[in-house]
Amino acid sequence: MRSLVSKYLARHAYRTARIKGSTPVATYRQPRHRLSSSSSSSSFHDLFNPTQEHAQLRAMLRDFVQNEVEPQAMEFNRTETFNLPLMKQLGDLGLLGLTVPEEYGGSGMMGDATSVVMVHEELSASDPAFCLSYLAHSLLLTHNLSTNGSETQKLAYLPRACSGEIIGGMAMSEPGAGTDVLGMTTKAVVLQHQDAMNHQNSWTLSGRKMWITNGTIDNGQTTGDLFLVYARTGPERQDLTAFLVEKDMPGFELGQQIKDKLGMRASPTAELVLDNVSVPPQNVVGEINGATLCMMRNLEVERLGLAAMALGIARRSINVMKEYASQRQAFGSDLYKFGQVQQMITTSYAEYMAGRCYVYALANRLDLETYGNGLDADGTKLYCAQMAKTVADRSIQVLGGYGYVGDYAVERLWRDAKLLEIGGGTNESHHKNMARDLKAMPHEIE
Amino acid sequence: MKVLVGVKRVVDYAVKVRVQNKSVDLNNVKMSLNPFCEIAVEEAVRLKEGKHADEVVAMSIGPKQCTETLRTALAMGCDRAIHVTTDLRTDYMDLQPYAIAKIFEKVAEQEGTDLVLLGKQGIDSDCGQTGPMLAGFLGWPQVTFAANLEAKDGGIQVERETDAGTETINIPSLPAVVTCDLRLNEPRYATLPNIMKAKKKKVDTIAADSFGIDLEAHNEVLEVFEPPQRQEGIMVDDIDQLVDKLKNEAGVLA
Ligand SMILES: Cc1cc2nc3c(=O)[nH]c(=O)nc-3n(C[C@H](O)[C@H](O)[C@H](O)COP(=O)(O)OP(=O)(O)OC[C@H]3O[C@@H](n4cnc5c(N)ncnc54)[C@H](O)[C@@H]3O)c2cc1C
Repeated sequence: MRSLVSKYLARHAYRTARIKGSTPVATYRQPRHRLSSSSSSSSFHDLFNPTQEHAQLRAMLRDFVQNEVEPQAMEFNRTETFNLPLMKQLGDLGLLGLTVPEEYGGSGMMGDATSVVMVHEELSASDPAFCLSYLAHSLLLTHNLSTNGSETQKLAYLPRACSGEIIGGMAMSEPGAGTDVLGMTTKAVVLQHQDAMNHQNSWTLSGRKMWITNGTIDNGQTTGDLFLVYARTGPERQDLTAFLVEKDMPGFELGQQIKDKLGMRASPTAELVLDNVSVPPQNVVGEINGATLCMMRNLEVERLGLAAMALGIARRSINVMKEYASQRQAFGSDLYKFGQVQQMITTSYAEYMAGRCYVYALANRLDLETYGNGLDADGTKLYCAQMAKTVADRSIQVLGGYGYVGDYAVERLWRDAKLLEIGGGTNESHHKNMARDLKAMPHEIE
Repeated sequence: MKVLVGVKRVVDYAVKVRVQNKSVDLNNVKMSLNPFCEIAVEEAVRLKEGKHADEVVAMSIGPKQCTETLRTALAMGCDRAIHVTTDLRTDYMDLQPYAIAKIFEKVAEQEGTDLVLLGKQGIDSDCGQTGPMLAGFLGWPQVTFAANLEAKDGGIQVERETDAGTETINIPSLPAVVTCDLRLNEPRYATLPNIMKAKKKKVDTIAADSFGIDLEAHNEVLEVFEPPQRQEGIMVDDIDQLVDKLKNEAGVLA
């Protein structure tokens, strides 16, 4: 199959113009990386790369993704396994602790939503599943802890989380509570006796957490290394508290690795079981009963990251269908000549650009240290997730049978895109939130 | 040891170039650091990390966008940069290796450079002349096509690619000029913290026409054209058909 379909890819003739008389030199290998940014005078360049450093970050990412991420994506998807060494490599590049201050081992891009968007966009152009695991670790755990944790907690955990020495995630959803997250039943109760050292109370957590990305990172043997776990600590619906739960705490177990997912197969998802896990008081993140706000704030960043992932999926899908349509012959011409194919390509491009402009317009003015951007964080994800799924779908359509199998990646991207309509909030939850926010708007939409 | 490393901004290797007005069309074309220069930068940075080089200076000749290319070199670990500004095309159409080598000569002298590291060629014009000419102008020893480089007792030992394998050349004392080939090293990715640090590094700007050097092109490019499209291959059914085609169509068998 491979040789059959790769025939259409093999016809590239790069860099074909030469000065007359010069003999073609031996081919150089693809450079490991090219940092200098595009010199494109397109007016969009500055929107998508607001500073020279952003442009350099993007160039580095493109190169890294092409050389390191793309070659492994198909295999890890097929075997439903997690590429832990590759994740650690992101630590070396300073990407795991993107938004974390340098004193905790991060890269010091505090509040810079644009960098966050770029990394998710670029990783997802090759491997959205790997990117989902990156998102869970870097945004849901690391960024979250960096924003809401105490000095002691940040010093204790962030350097290792930024380097990739430990990999973990965030546990909010439960078997019986997803969209209705405040309906969670995992409980934390104060132990009667006091912690001798701190004269503070220890907590006992019990319950089950479902769908936890990076819940296992060794393919279903044990739990991941560290989790931010939300649990009920009071009688009111919003009485939630966040706890740091570490691997090997007695009673903290891997329930099951969730297999046979439609997409995101290279991103491990697991059920985690908390069976009377004793958590010391220094592992309480933020205020007791004060975690709902932290959770909502973190969801804003998460949604922007997921919207950015949609952009990577869409761009790749458009490039694949554009290239294929130019090569594939039918009825005496290439597919590109057919109006219906042109419609699929061009509509996809326009929708992609609309989504990309929305995401970057939001990211470029967003300070991740603030919150209250829920409307457009929901809006970008709502629009881009569906856009990416539709665009990937059109890409499969343009490729016909070849699109339906793995070689061109678009069937995988299509499966991965579907998750963006569910994870981090379902489409319907975005409708619900946005309808509330729009109604509460004190003025007309500008 | 002070190292000067050349950083050329060229059409990105993945761009399908188009010819317009008798030259390669550079409008809206993605440009990036010449892959061979990238290898030179990596080698220079390794010399610094190995405590052999005290300072690594990156230098680029070309339009204002060359600062982007220089920032790349700085993010990889060069200490500072020199941007020689000109709006002349550097892909052989205007500014040619002779003038480029002359500019490098001036800068190397001003800087008190001990080692000049260059790519073995730019992937735009594929000339491969700048390094050898520069060594000639300076009267320094040179090694081209470096595949391995080691600092040794104040000099360098360089393994160079030849058609028959490699040969090892010892330069007992510096200064010297070395041009870098593919197998010399694998360039690193610039990490995000280093990209941010590069922002603060110094980039000096000098106008190319301030050196008092003849910048005129002495060779004239008569024509640039795209090679004919390669025909698609065909599948043959059996050996007999293959032999038949080789004999009667390709004419390569008697
Ligand atoms: C691959 C994957 C990774 C995940 N990673 C994580 C993770 O790392 N951490 C974590 O905490 N969670 C994670 N999740 C869970 C994810 O956030 C939830 O699946 C999501 O919030 C939806 O919850 P649910 O699955 O319980 O569906 P439900 O909430 O039961 O929803 C089912 C359907 O009902 C609709 N619905 C629900 N309420 C309403 C309403 N009020 N109005 C209209 N329609 C409604 C929904 O939109 C949906 O269509 C992950 C999920 C997946 C699939």
